[in-house]
Amino acid sequence: MNVIEKNIIMEVEDLKKHFDISKGFIKKVNSKVRAVDGLNFQVYKGETLGIVGESGCGKSTTGQLMLGLLDATEGHIYFQDRDLAEMTQEELRLARRDLQVIFQDPYSSLNPRMTVEELIGEPLIVHGIAKGEELKKQVLDLMNLVGLQKHQMTRFPHEFSGGQRQRIGIARALALKPKVIVCDEAVSALDVSIQAQILNLLKKLQKELDLTYIFIAHGLPAVRHISDRIGVMYLGKMVEMADRDEIFHHPLHPYTHALLDSVPIPDPRLRKEHLLIEGEIPSPTNPPSGCAFHPRCPFATEHCKKVTPEYREILPEHYVACHYPLVDKDTDVLPHSSDKA
Amino acid sequence: MTKNLLEIEDLKVRFKTEDGYISTVNGVSFSVKQGETLAIVGESGSGKSVTSLALMGILPANGEIYDGKVTFEDKNLRTLSKKEYRKIRGNEISMIFQEPMTALNPVFNIGYQLRETLILHYDMTKEQANKKGIEMLETVGIPDADKVMGRFPHQLSGGMRQRVMIAMALSCNPKLLIADEPTTALDVTIQAQILTLMRNIKEKSNTSTIIITHDLGVVAELADRVIVMYAGEVVEEAPIYELFENPLHPYTKGLMASIPKVHDVVDELYSIEGTVPNPSNMPSGCKFYPRCPLGNIECTKIHPPLEYISADHAKRCIKV
Repeated sequence: MNVIEKNIIMEVEDLKKHFDISKGFIKKVNSKVRAVDGLNFQVYKGETLGIVGESGCGKSTTGQLMLGLLDATEGHIYFQDRDLAEMTQEELRLARRDLQVIFQDPYSSLNPRMTVEELIGEPLIVHGIAKGEELKKQVLDLMNLVGLQKHQMTRFPHEFSGGQRQRIGIARALALKPKVIVCDEAVSALDVSIQAQILNLLKKLQKELDLTYIFIAHGLPAVRHISDRIGVMYLGKMVEMADRDEIFHHPLHPYTHALLDSVPIPDPRLRKEHLLIEGEIPSPTNPPSGCAFHPRCPFATEHCKKVTPEYREILPEHYVACHYPLVDKDTDVLPHSSDKA
Repeated sequence: MTKNLLEIEDLKVRFKTEDGYISTVNGVSFSVKQGETLAIVGESGSGKSVTSLALMGILPANGEIYDGKVTFEDKNLRTLSKKEYRKIRGNEISMIFQEPMTALNPVFNIGYQLRETLILHYDMTKEQANKKGIEMLETVGIPDADKVMGRFPHQLSGGMRQRVMIAMALSCNPKLLIADEPTTALDVTIQAQILTLMRNIKEKSNTSTIIITHDLGVVAELADRVIVMYAGEVVEEAPIYELFENPLHPYTKGLMASIPKVHDVVDELYSIEGTVPNPSNMPSGCKFYPRCPLGNIECTKIHPPLEYISADHAKRCIKV
């Protein structure tokens, strides 16, 4: 999507979410998990913003905060210029129609005792949008939209395969004609051939219904396929955000560089030594001082241990939080077309 | 020509259910040579994991091998008694599982679990086993190995647990290592560490490996040879470069085309229509026919045999 009109549909400002860990009988709070620790970014209307990162980086918490499912500890989330935290219950209820979610595991997120018709119709009933014949018609339209057959209406979730169940989940998310859909690991649990079907479906729906996606995932190839822009998170912070091709061809943060380089490429001719980063992801309860990535970073200096790098726009539309971004370095991890003999 | 370490011929595995027997592995044949890494690729329900459990002799209670031959170093594994099998398992053939948290025992520390295999198979004393255990942990890149010996599985991260599993699997110098989705549950930077470790092990030792995975990226990184499984059958077999350069079976081709490529963005991904058939309701003739772009009436009548088009490249399809 080259010609996006950059209308901001959502904006996140200094967003923080800390979870208290309490222990013992009196539930004394003795530590905090800094799941999300100061995020700033915008989501443009009609785009797909990919958010990637490894376990514990806070990507799913970010998604839940943006849906209004969790309350932020600090900071603001604006949806169409309105702060979610300042909305009344009624306003929030209406905003939630516009903000929907597709979960990773369509088996545990669908009630096993409800038929497809009831599952897809439920949001319409809850929000008082349709009933009777009209309800049935709308459910059929939705099923048609996501590629489910009319005769499957009376079936239960266990009668479907993983891919089909994900279609039910998508139909449910679409029922209220949302503007933004958070896809939280929406294709991660699916087999590759099915994953391709669902990714294609999501792209088709985005075009037809003018949707904005926030695509949260750890699977980089899928994120690259579907996203227009990509943000990379590490220990509750955004370390880099840029246009998809920019991220893959010119990553500026050493973590992004190593993360992208770690992805195995399905071509034996491109077998290579990976740029390994040492160690494991530290616990978000007690993140390292300064730049949280410094213990694993090959370029870290004393400065990095002490001073937290500022998240700033160092190239147009390219944001990085690093004291020594890899500007002017060849960080392209992707094989060039000439490499393939 | 290197000798075959393992030979599987026409292996068939079935499970007893309330509705009678369901066969999930339907005549699988392959071999593994000394020092070779063979990848078995397939999606859920292809029978790849059941095949590996069958040759480890650890099928669930309702499962059984009902036909075929499994020969490991001239021994027919199917005729072994439980006791004889136990001598081979963990010693000559060992296995790494996808989720080390469920494969490791949560109530014993790492040291105990590492020593157990060594004491059992090598008759070592506790001290000897301890020394060897620490040595193994160091081989797989665990820092502070002597401290880790005293830890419990829940105190380690996913990547560390997988390293412990690998250390344990390698501690008896197995001739054959079976790795079932060894990196699927890991984060990508940790996956790169484990894949590098496995590659180093392969270079240093002469252990043969069977790696079972759905991820063609992992296959491309590690394997020498690949078999592709679909609905309990081998549909294609080829050396690694040959398979990626010249895939023949429509399923293999579809699988390769449906992975999003990091280096080659397309607008719409190729997708294989439909889903894997249910083992209790298999299509007659070719099992891939209902999803195949090349399928026609002929394919419903014949169950295609696995046909070798060269010495080492085979396909199960009458259309290509």
